[in-house]
Amino acid sequence: MRRGRRGGTVSRRSWLTAYLFLAPGLLLFAAFRLYPLLDGLRLSFTNARLGRPAQAFVGLANYERLLDDTRFHTSLYNTVFYTVASTLPILAIPLLLAVALNRGTMRTVLRGAFFFPFTLSVVTVGLTWLWLLDPVVGPFNYYLRALGGPARSWLADPTTAMWVIIVTTVWWVTGYYLVIYLAGLQDIPRDLYESAALDGAGAIRSFWAITLPLLRPVLLFVFVTHMIGSFQIFGQVFVLTQGGPGDATRTVVQHLYETAFQNFFHFGSASAMAWVLFAIILVFSVLQFRLLRGHTEY
Amino acid sequence: MALTVGLGALAVLWLLPVVWVFVTSLKHTPDIIRVPPEWIPWPATLEHYVEVLFSSSRTARIGRAFINSIIVSIGTVALVVATSALAAYPLARMRFPGRNLVFILIIGSLMIPNAVVLVPQYVLVQQLGWLSTYQGLIVPEAAMTFAFGVFLLRQFFLLMPGELEDAARIDGANTWQVFSRIVLPLSQPVLAALSIFAFRSAWNDFLWPLIAVNKAEMFPLPVALALLRGAYSSESYGPIMAGAALSALPLLLVFLVANRRIVEGVRLSGLKG
Repeated sequence: MRRGRRGGTVSRRSWLTAYLFLAPGLLLFAAFRLYPLLDGLRLSFTNARLGRPAQAFVGLANYERLLDDTRFHTSLYNTVFYTVASTLPILAIPLLLAVALNRGTMRTVLRGAFFFPFTLSVVTVGLTWLWLLDPVVGPFNYYLRALGGPARSWLADPTTAMWVIIVTTVWWVTGYYLVIYLAGLQDIPRDLYESAALDGAGAIRSFWAITLPLLRPVLLFVFVTHMIGSFQIFGQVFVLTQGGPGDATRTVVQHLYETAFQNFFHFGSASAMAWVLFAIILVFSVLQFRLLRGHTEY
Repeated sequence: MALTVGLGALAVLWLLPVVWVFVTSLKHTPDIIRVPPEWIPWPATLEHYVEVLFSSSRTARIGRAFINSIIVSIGTVALVVATSALAAYPLARMRFPGRNLVFILIIGSLMIPNAVVLVPQYVLVQQLGWLSTYQGLIVPEAAMTFAFGVFLLRQFFLLMPGELEDAARIDGANTWQVFSRIVLPLSQPVLAALSIFAFRSAWNDFLWPLIAVNKAEMFPLPVALALLRGAYSSESYGPIMAGAALSALPLLLVFLVANRRIVEGVRLSGLKG
């Protein structure tokens, strides 16, 4: 096995061959990832618009305008709210399910059931919940009323609309994180639990003392992945609420999409938003690594 | 035992929304809005499927969108698998100047949020004249998944024992022959996992096709479905749910056949991420 690391084709003369292998991928990567990334930064300093060939350099004007754009502030607030409010459920629910599944029988079948929604597109997920929650004829309100609960138009109420989007997303992605947690749990040596049990530790004590600390790298992965994804939330909002009621569920990417492709066709301004979003995501990622790394040695 | 029963009940509850979509899609229009909700679609009908697939004049036809999605997803899988296998091989098995730099650039790009390249990518695709074309969907989709593919395949190639490659080399095989006749056949499981992953992301992507396509006959499924919603909103959920069910079908089939492999792919994507 160790031989495999260095084995095979190790030759200094073969560097030309190496780059011939890399060429198609690097071309794709440079043209459609690196170049757009940098071009977006350039656009954010111009007054580029859809269908206007001439662009002028406008310095920081697009960024300054964002300071006054109250709809951008609302969308930023909503996006951060969504990210923060959904983090605990998305960290905890799949984790609890994974711990339970890891102990129980029929793991493969149950895992499959929870995973299935993740194979659906965001549009399908949105349409599904739109129909479930239909205020007049949807089954959710019917059963809620039957149980004596407060039926209402969940998506039309600004206090509940964002929570519906969170619930929908949790339902959608739980299976994905469940699989990742299960893999992490498999890597924890069984005898740790056995010796803890010998020392008289119960299931809950073992969870806090063994499972959680040893899962720290997996938790970090879930934490960062979810954060990067949730700062870019768009599809759920587009299908379920279009950002409403009012601007209660308007998010940054939706605002960006509308600025660039729906209302103003203002590419410069949209690019500035994209880079502000990128900066925020980077800062959060670094913070999370700082927060959770340092402790991974056990 | 109690735990399994509890989890089983929760799993059933988890799948109820999906069941409700299929049930609705099979009901006659007046039965759909009947209260209390009926969970058995009887008498059943396929009229909504026929309508969205072939005869709806209100919006993009789901039948056409289905074909578009198949073409785009298969094209993306082919491009991702080819480019990332070719790129991952030297990154794992050869030493050459610039290797670490190339690898760090590619892996670092996993941190780039797709939303950040949306506008400039649109500008690029427009300049290439690729708006509303298959290549305008396939190539950016593939570029999005390429870095993950390199990461996944490189992990796999690194752990492959080198003896077979050495033996082939001694028999006079060149690097291309070693790669295509020894390495690729040995990599089938991981190539399958990557294919499913790439298929899923291309099949389900919504934001990019929403802006890169402005001709109804070129819409892939998610965009066509989102429009279906507007076209039918207040009258009937039947056609919308039939469209939703159709869009879930291919991955449901893949999922039933290759549950293990999908899960394996996800697992690999998470570990050491």
